[in-house]
Amino acid sequence: MELFLQLIVSGILTGGIYALISIGLTLIFGVVRVINFAHGEYLMLGAYLVYWLNVLTGVDPYLSFFVVVPVMYLAGVATFKVVIKPVLMRPSFNQILVTVGLSFFLQNMALLFFRADFRTVQTSYSSLAFRMSDINIGFPRLMAFVVAMAVTFAIYMFLKRTYLGKAIRAVAMDRQGAMLMGVDINFIYTFAWGIGIMCMGIAAIMIMPIYPIFPLVGQMFVLVAFVVVVLGGLGNFTGALLAGLLLGVVESFSGFFIHPALKEVVYFMIFILVLSIKPSGLFGLGAGYEEVGLK
Amino acid sequence: MKRFSFLLAVLLVVALLFSGCTDDAPAAVDEDGEVYEGDIVIGTLYPVSGPMALLGDESFRGAELARQKINEEGGILGRQVVFVSADAPDTAAATAEAERLISQEGMTVILGSYASPISMAASEVAERNQVVYYESGGIANPILERGFEWMFRYIMQASDLGIGGIQTVASYGPDALGKPVEEIKVAIVFEDGPYGSTVGKYAQEEAERQGMQVVAFESYSSESIDLSSLIERLKAADPDALSITSYINDAILFHQQAEELGFYVPLFIGNGGGHAMGDFAAAVGSTVDGVVNVDVAQYAINWDRAPGMEEFLERYEAAYGTAPRSGHSVLNYSGAMALFQGIELAGGVMTSEAIRDGIRAVDIPRYSMPNSFGAKFGPTGQNENSFAVAHQWQLVDGEYKQLAIFPEELAVVEAVFPIPAW
Repeated sequence: MELFLQLIVSGILTGGIYALISIGLTLIFGVVRVINFAHGEYLMLGAYLVYWLNVLTGVDPYLSFFVVVPVMYLAGVATFKVVIKPVLMRPSFNQILVTVGLSFFLQNMALLFFRADFRTVQTSYSSLAFRMSDINIGFPRLMAFVVAMAVTFAIYMFLKRTYLGKAIRAVAMDRQGAMLMGVDINFIYTFAWGIGIMCMGIAAIMIMPIYPIFPLVGQMFVLVAFVVVVLGGLGNFTGALLAGLLLGVVESFSGFFIHPALKEVVYFMIFILVLSIKPSGLFGLGAGYEEVGLK
Repeated sequence: MKRFSFLLAVLLVVALLFSGCTDDAPAAVDEDGEVYEGDIVIGTLYPVSGPMALLGDESFRGAELARQKINEEGGILGRQVVFVSADAPDTAAATAEAERLISQEGMTVILGSYASPISMAASEVAERNQVVYYESGGIANPILERGFEWMFRYIMQASDLGIGGIQTVASYGPDALGKPVEEIKVAIVFEDGPYGSTVGKYAQEEAERQGMQVVAFESYSSESIDLSSLIERLKAADPDALSITSYINDAILFHQQAEELGFYVPLFIGNGGGHAMGDFAAAVGSTVDGVVNVDVAQYAINWDRAPGMEEFLERYEAAYGTAPRSGHSVLNYSGAMALFQGIELAGGVMTSEAIRDGIRAVDIPRYSMPNSFGAKFGPTGQNENSFAVAHQWQLVDGEYKQLAIFPEELAVVEAVFPIPAW
């Protein structure tokens, strides 16, 4: 029984990380309707920012929140204005190629400036774990899970309760209609992109105590992020949270009962199944929303 | 605006064309690309940029220091040694650069390459062109299982790591655990690429040969974000000893999650890869204590059996200002020296045939090179005087270092088993 519970707990904790890296992506998908293949690289950049802050000023990764969050927001805004905005009116293939190119560019710039060495941040709590009646819970993972829930909740409340949030939802639902109602599309897009990248910055903070970073680390996470986002429904970030958690648990169980090397196979199979039955994702907005990001 | 963007596009294309030009020709080559007559010219192929750059560059440093040493001592038969270097960050570049070294630069021998995939790709090109490929770092067994006639490997094989690890368990296990070898439960875990799979396979064969019980045989992806399900499976199997083969990322992840989930094993045997690196020790902190790394000889070995090691360390410090970052530099240093001897035995004739025959004639006994190997190449090109050394991470003057524990000739310290609880 403890084993079963442990597998669930481990799965949910990993799922929290998956959800955290996917929230920003689904926001960008849903609002700007661009597939950002460079999303993983922002995780990498955020992580390096946390790392250098820690090395140069000794600031704890969690506390660097106050610097990393605004910087990443600005990085998102800058990316949008310089790279994305010029191709917004172009065919979606051009947009995809631009973000792929951006991805390579960022990876190689990081390789050039930071070299390929693995960097880790030493914290007092990296290996701290709680033991509750034979269930082991790692502290950094627990924090990542808690933050994932908090960020999702915060964004949910923001979108539901504020005027700006309403405007964003309007743009996501019907761009033309929103424009007709006087919403400044440009500002919404810039803002959404900035928030999306900012979420990646938060994710970077939470994963720093857990994983070493190197220029290609974004690639490790980005594939899962895409699966989570599509599974949860493009643009639906509560969907992303739930899909992330689900994926974590599925991985945990299939890794144990089937084989650790096959756990990705299992969730990709589920992914394919869901898409064949309900293409707009598990929690997607239903028929008609399958092609978010391509139109 | 259209005119401007057209011009910009043209400029970008031109810039792209020029970006292919590099200026890394060695100093001994003049503007026309002609090498001064009489120099011994060797091609080198290492990943000095890209994701494998850390250890690729470390490997190249070893070869370069060997080159400097031999040139200071008068060169080979009075002729200076010159490297024509190529950078191979991935397998596509490896193939392309090998082609370039052979067809454009006219290399008749190539020295490389740190990583097995790079080696596999580049040596394919060399073999096709009947050019000698001298491998110092790639250990995967399949490299020399292709029936090649022009390839040599200085380093031992992946199988030696797997076997060496299990032999370490067989030597120390009974005393540490208080039970005979046949009752020892061993778990074998490995990353699912060619490196891990080869080591894992031979570890399993050796464990069965020794009569141990293999209670787990698990592969995993080195790019996993989470290894908790693997660790739960291992906990369920309750092993006495673990043989694990990982790269640096997954080695750290496994160790941290094992600690988090309360998975302890009395004999923890890493097989090169991530467990060899200082970055691993730095990342996992005190839980590295007692971890064994079966690998090429590192630095804390019996220097009486590694003549030239001290000189190597002095040269490295003088040239690069730090201590070596891994055992790869002294490995490539020694490998290059063995190659130079082969060329000397070939009378300095720089045709592939002569070089090949020269390398085949090299006969250096074990414990004679700076990294403690010897050099004698068997029918497949494998150096039969290479071997795996087991080291254990122990606390020395407040710092964790790898100290040789096996074989006896190289051991500098007593092994500590069971390893400290974490």
